[in-house]
Amino acid sequence: MKMVEVKLKLKKKPKFPLEADSITPDNFAGKTLAEIKKLPLYHARELITIGEFFDVTGKAEDVSNTKIIIDGDVSKVKRIGEKMTGGEIIINSDVGMHVGNTMSGGKILVKGNADDWAGAMLQGGELEIEGNAGHYVGSAYRGFWQGMKNGTIRVKGKVGNESMLWAKSSKPANKWPTLYCGGASSFLGLHNHGGTMVVEGDVDRCIGADQIRGTIIVKGNISRILPSFKKLDDVNEITLPNGEIMTGKFAQYSGDHSVSKETAGRLYVAIK
Amino acid sequence: MSLTNLILLTGRTINQGVALEGGKVTKENVRAAGICTFDKDDFKKLDSIAGTPVKVTTDYGEVMVYSTITEEGPHPGIIFIPMGPWSNQVVNPDTQGCGTPTYKGMKAKVEIVKDGKVLDALELIGKLKEVQK
Amino acid sequence: MTQKKITTHYDVLCPFCGTLCDDLEVDIADNEVIEMRNSCQIGTKKFFSSNPSGHRYLKPQIKEKGTFRDATWDEALDKAADILIKAKRPLLYGFSSTECEAQGVGVELAEYLKAILDNTASVCHGPSLLAIQDVGAPLSTLGEYKNRADLVIFWGSNPVHAHPRHLSRYSDFVRGYFRKDGRNDRYIVVVDPRNTHTAQIADLYIKINPNEDYELLNAIRAVLRGVELDAKEVSGVPMESIKRLVDILKKCHFGVIFFGMGLTQSLSHHRNIDSAICLVRELNDHTKFLLTPMRGHYNVAGANQVFTWNTGYAYSIDFSREYARYNPGEFSSVDLLMNDEVDATLIVASDPASNFPAGAVRNMFKHPIIAIEPHHTPTSVYADVILPPAFAGIECEGTAYRMDKVPLRLRKVKEAPEECLPDKEILERLFERVKEKEGK
Repeated sequence: MKMVEVKLKLKKKPKFPLEADSITPDNFAGKTLAEIKKLPLYHARELITIGEFFDVTGKAEDVSNTKIIIDGDVSKVKRIGEKMTGGEIIINSDVGMHVGNTMSGGKILVKGNADDWAGAMLQGGELEIEGNAGHYVGSAYRGFWQGMKNGTIRVKGKVGNESMLWAKSSKPANKWPTLYCGGASSFLGLHNHGGTMVVEGDVDRCIGADQIRGTIIVKGNISRILPSFKKLDDVNEITLPNGEIMTGKFAQYSGDHSVSKETAGRLYVAIK
Repeated sequence: MSLTNLILLTGRTINQGVALEGGKVTKENVRAAGICTFDKDDFKKLDSIAGTPVKVTTDYGEVMVYSTITEEGPHPGIIFIPMGPWSNQVVNPDTQGCGTPTYKGMKAKVEIVKDGKVLDALELIGKLKEVQK
Repeated sequence: MTQKKITTHYDVLCPFCGTLCDDLEVDIADNEVIEMRNSCQIGTKKFFSSNPSGHRYLKPQIKEKGTFRDATWDEALDKAADILIKAKRPLLYGFSSTECEAQGVGVELAEYLKAILDNTASVCHGPSLLAIQDVGAPLSTLGEYKNRADLVIFWGSNPVHAHPRHLSRYSDFVRGYFRKDGRNDRYIVVVDPRNTHTAQIADLYIKINPNEDYELLNAIRAVLRGVELDAKEVSGVPMESIKRLVDILKKCHFGVIFFGMGLTQSLSHHRNIDSAICLVRELNDHTKFLLTPMRGHYNVAGANQVFTWNTGYAYSIDFSREYARYNPGEFSSVDLLMNDEVDATLIVASDPASNFPAGAVRNMFKHPIIAIEPHHTPTSVYADVILPPAFAGIECEGTAYRMDKVPLRLRKVKEAPEECLPDKEILERLFERVKEKEGK
């Protein structure tokens, strides 16, 4: 599909974080540049417009073939890509909180670090972060007991605490929320209901806490496995729910047994 | 003399509570909250007498406080500073995304400083203000 | 020598900690507190501190060229209103040591200003509220515990120091309806890294490694489910002790866990509480078990109630987009201040300069501060405007909520100094002035 590009360049540094949930292919589709510049932006308690903080060039078409490219330091710009259903966003710097939250389609690429809540409540689509991400990657928002339901998040670097909190998969609907990351802090996969997590590097403590079912694979070191996880036989191959096959020698654990005596939840730690 | 590899806890004490109701800017408050409580055996390693000022250092800052021996031990490897302006120079401000700083459990080291000056609350907090002007 | 006329007030509430004792006796003569009965050391000190002293503000103060000068209410309210109107991201913080009617006005003011509204739960039991929002909580009232609990656990809580009369009124030494033998009818367990004064009077003290509470709770829950664990020891506690504890938990008639900052302020914060709540819930398959957070301030529970029934959320609320949004970590005071995202603060009934980490205080001092504070504190001394209040619970009436969310009525036992107004009135006048200046 031939993509058309809308280029946004941050023209001045915001004094307070900006809330830019209007920056999505869905909101730009079918609009002229003048209309895009008038879309709302929040700067602390001031309601302003995209045009006040961004130079806007290029053109937008339909949701599915609109690509938004963002230049300038948007590390304090929150909510970019919120609820989008298609199209692409490329962010050429660090990005603020809530990037790609609740999106259900399309792709976001962050060429830098992301702040907390990246990909929260993801319903589909792809979020890729080349740097590190903050806490709550792919997690449920406060008070929600079902979080990421589908889609894929890839973080080259490390994710913070409580990533993939309350993730929920669905076998009948073939929805397998998945996180690939380079490392993780604590509580990865907390309250997991079927999410898949593959960590290339090291993780901290309490991985898979309160897991009901799901698959967590750690290829690096794990600082401390929860006492409620029980060791099963080693494996040479793991088949992920989304079909992918991982080969290598892994120690296999079932857990979290603090939630139930028998469980389909699994934690795999590579044997070096 | 110094000790490393300690864990710093902070919290309420009844004396600190009485002092804070009586006036947080009084001398009584320094003696209630500007202190670091040691396990008896740990303190022996510092070869000093209780009451001598110590400098407590964590990854987040340092503060000079009076040393005391615990009545709530033994707790080797743990030191305790009551909540207040002194402990807040050295606690972990990171909330890990939940809003509440990690006031307890920082790695710490201490060093006896015989003629160390323990500031009172106003002087101590005042240092945070001066930086601006 | 003429005898001073002494008025004795009975059943007075204590405005200090979340135990909210309701049996204090206060003797007043010449509008001064002269004797207290039944109160603990801290409550006594609080009542006496309302007497005239060099530490109390008797008139509004405005800071000019680095020093305070007396001002009229008119001038001070004007300056305060200016500060709030000019700010782009004001923070209204505190509210835990005042009464509910005042807290309600605080909510209105924050909503009008499109500000951030937060209370001290943010640095205290906020994690407990976060956990309750995720997994619920089996709670009850202190009276029920007093009458029924035969197993009382203090986890990360040291009531001898922080809630001095809790043990003698509700949880340990008192005789209850089904606990007629008082202390002898109860089994007290303390879990703490230090052998605290509370641990020293317990029946069982479990020494736990700091920052490893989650792992221990996790292990207890698994053992409770009948799972044989691989580990020989968890968090510094031998597996044998864990199994014995699980037995004690299952065999009691009515258990309660009181938990405090040991869980909320150490690593993994709200997840410690999450696990404790799940443990208590699972114990109800075996016996009756409940839990209650040991709230610190006497009306922080009230602030959470008032904020919740007005906005839907208990703390860390943002109004910048003209509707209430809630997200600790993003809209919590310490995080905002650490990121220098606030450009003015209105501090009501609290002392963040003493209680926030130094980095947050440093940023708070970069911007104007309005303090509604009766005493000299590190916050008020470095503020730009001081609005002196009457002491809620001593010099003005109001409602307060105890740690178990029971609402009780604070009493007025003496008059406030002439120019000290109740918090509610100060906030109302400030709100009026802000609206006037904006032509509304």
